[in-house]
Amino acid sequence: MKVVAFRESLVMSLRSIASNKIRSFLTALGVMIGVAAVIALVALGNGAQISVEENLESLGSNLLIVYSGEPRGGSLVRRNTTNIKPTLTEEDLEMIRSLGPNYVQAATSESTATAQVKYSNVNTVATVVGTGVDYPQIRNFHPVYGRFFSQVELDTRKPVAVIGIQVYRDLFPEGLDPVGLQMRINGINHRIVGIMEEKGSATSDESVFIPSSTYQRYISGENEYSVINVQAESTEAMRDLQRIIENEILRLHRLPNMDTADFYIANQLDLLDSMQGVTETFTILLASIAAISLLVGGIGIMNIMLVSVTERTREIGVRMALGATAADILRQFITEAVIISLLGGLVGIGIGIGSSWAASNLGGMAARVSLDSVFMAFGFAFVIGLFFGGYPAYRASRLDPIEALRYE
Amino acid sequence: MANIIEIDGLSRHYQMGPTTVKAIDEMSFSIAEGEFVSIIGPSGSGKSTLMNIIGCLDLPTQGKYSLAGTNVSDMNRNELAHVRNRYIGFVFQSFNLLGRETALENVELPLIYAGVSPKKRREQARRMLERVQLTDRGDHIPNQLSGGQRQRVAIARALATEPRIILADEPTGALDSKTGIDIMKLFHRLNEEGVTLVMVTHDTDLAKQAKRVIQIMDGRILQDIAAKEFTS
Repeated sequence: MKVVAFRESLVMSLRSIASNKIRSFLTALGVMIGVAAVIALVALGNGAQISVEENLESLGSNLLIVYSGEPRGGSLVRRNTTNIKPTLTEEDLEMIRSLGPNYVQAATSESTATAQVKYSNVNTVATVVGTGVDYPQIRNFHPVYGRFFSQVELDTRKPVAVIGIQVYRDLFPEGLDPVGLQMRINGINHRIVGIMEEKGSATSDESVFIPSSTYQRYISGENEYSVINVQAESTEAMRDLQRIIENEILRLHRLPNMDTADFYIANQLDLLDSMQGVTETFTILLASIAAISLLVGGIGIMNIMLVSVTERTREIGVRMALGATAADILRQFITEAVIISLLGGLVGIGIGIGSSWAASNLGGMAARVSLDSVFMAFGFAFVIGLFFGGYPAYRASRLDPIEALRYE
Repeated sequence: MANIIEIDGLSRHYQMGPTTVKAIDEMSFSIAEGEFVSIIGPSGSGKSTLMNIIGCLDLPTQGKYSLAGTNVSDMNRNELAHVRNRYIGFVFQSFNLLGRETALENVELPLIYAGVSPKKRREQARRMLERVQLTDRGDHIPNQLSGGQRQRVAIARALATEPRIILADEPTGALDSKTGIDIMKLFHRLNEEGVTLVMVTHDTDLAKQAKRVIQIMDGRILQDIAAKEFTS
């Protein structure tokens, strides 16, 4: 009996929806847009989160970065160190390496400067990075062609260079094999030994990597490093390691505490946490915008359903006279609202998935549709139909049949 | 024959601010099964109110109304809806067909609320259209039908659940006189088939076509006599 009654109201609703197609479409449109917005915006949020995580992972794993300069609270994003006076010494680096394999897998210095690089008569500006042989391992950034420079070349201050992919493209537009060729960095000849893989970030791809010894000799003329990259033995060891390195460098630099320090340490975990925090906020923000549009869609349904109930007052009166109970009328109008809302929801899911696909495949944005958001949006559509259709349906069911029959 | 309608000391009062309007004032009468009764009176006489109460759309403020042996005077909305569905067939002056539905679907409507299965519904609706001689118009929507045909569909709908009485409110009021006569002929035939008919009208000539006339005025019965003897 209940199932039969439900099927009857389903048939009635579909008929009513079909008989007024444009109105039904406009009513569903609000929910459609709302649901599409929920799915697409949540997909964008998720995409942003995932791409941030991937970016951070591509920095290398279990990475601690010791920076020169005054500590800046909360600033964890890898920053441009080119204009900061280097304060980290070979002694600091040796100290970190001496902490042993229980804490440190590898450590390497890194100093950067902007320099003019030249091959034949082609010029470009690149970031010159002076570093050690462990750099590819620590930063998870490897040569794609040729090789990285060797320990011997580092020890003997050989003028050799590994070039970023963008530098290669700029200097060798004809696609020459550069290995063995001489390029000039600030006028000094360096032999190219390899090309680094593409990383997708300007700072990596537009860099030239040379031994730190060579860098000190030809580029900076100083013995200090801008940065020391440390690869911790494990994620668990990172926090401990950070504290130990802080204390040791303070001691070596003869400083009382971190408030007066000339260095600071960024930790990949903190970086990950704070970026996740940012992208989560971003996702919540987008989802709220979408939720508001769903709400507006719901109000649209209520509006049209109220009009529809008023318009069909006489029909309701006739149905009541013929034996429809208040429950029958309530069910009929609620079913209608829910179906309109669900139809809008279904189309909205299609649009949402479609536009997420378009955003990531055509628009170059990171967007990932989560199944959760699809179910959530569909659930919302149902609840909105129920809630915003409920009041008009209730009004319809409470009509006095005598008044309703008299309604013109 | 058994009384299908028993009305005893029935009143319906409306409170209009400080004054009480007595639309029906202590009325008593009964209608037996198989009768054809017209209720006549000018507008404001209380005949609409009486029709609403007989049709279980409204409840009396005082007195008792029994329909087919059941006291309906203190039923709730839900129970009244079921009583209307099972016991009463309405025929309205303006037909009140659902404009988007076909004749057949309109006739099926009360059967939906009676919980009859779609297949049985369809069969029953066809039979009823046959009864009002409109078999070939089942698939038409009301707009494609003439006034007389529409009223026939409405009568078929009223007959659909095989109710105990048909309650007709000015059934020829929206029709030309020739078509009106056809509808009255149909009513007579249905009455001969055993259908109890109660017709509400203000038209004396129409009222006289029933077998019995109840004339009301100011909420009271003025006369209740055989149609042959009725003079206004």
